[in-house]
Amino acid sequence: MHDVKATLHTLYVPGVAILIGIAYFVAGLVGDDTRFGVIGLALMTAVAGAWVVLARYSETVKGLMDRKDERIRGIDKDASLFAGWILIVAVIGAFVVQVARGADTSPYAELGAIGGVAYIGAVIVLRLRR
Amino acid sequence: MKNVVRALRTQADISQAALAEAMGVSRQTINSIETGRYLPSLPLAIALARYFETTVEETFFDA
Repeated sequence: MHDVKATLHTLYVPGVAILIGIAYFVAGLVGDDTRFGVIGLALMTAVAGAWVVLARYSETVKGLMDRKDERIRGIDKDASLFAGWILIVAVIGAFVVQVARGADTSPYAELGAIGGVAYIGAVIVLRLRR
Repeated sequence: MKNVVRALRTQADISQAALAEAMGVSRQTINSIETGRYLPSLPLAIALARYFETTVEETFFDA
């Protein structure tokens, strides 16, 4: 049972990459842009394959895939937090620039709102659980 | 915070890889703990202390 769980954890990252590739493929077919769909699927499949291959040589990549190591999980969390902050700054910056230009603030206003609601929701849920 | 994980490990004559396997973490994590770059969680600190049949206070301490 433990081995099955560990294997599923290991397949999580490449699995998500392939699912994104399939989403690109379907979007390409629906949007009548087959080239985008095929290239998107091929690219994301290559990314999934690269993760699997790199995991054989890099303890960090392996750790990011199997999620067993608390230090790697901490690194992943901090890296995600950093990326999130950069994204927030970029969205707010773009929103302010659009306002200054007198242009449409979409989609930056919506993205900022989603981020704000997600943050408040997460704080409420985490506060109830801890 | 300092620790004596490296001293305990060399006394026990086991490799970082073997200790990592026993603790369910990577060899890099054991190395980071030994060099003081990473402070382990309480469960991992307890597991390390129990593995070497000592206490958390004796394994990890203020410098």
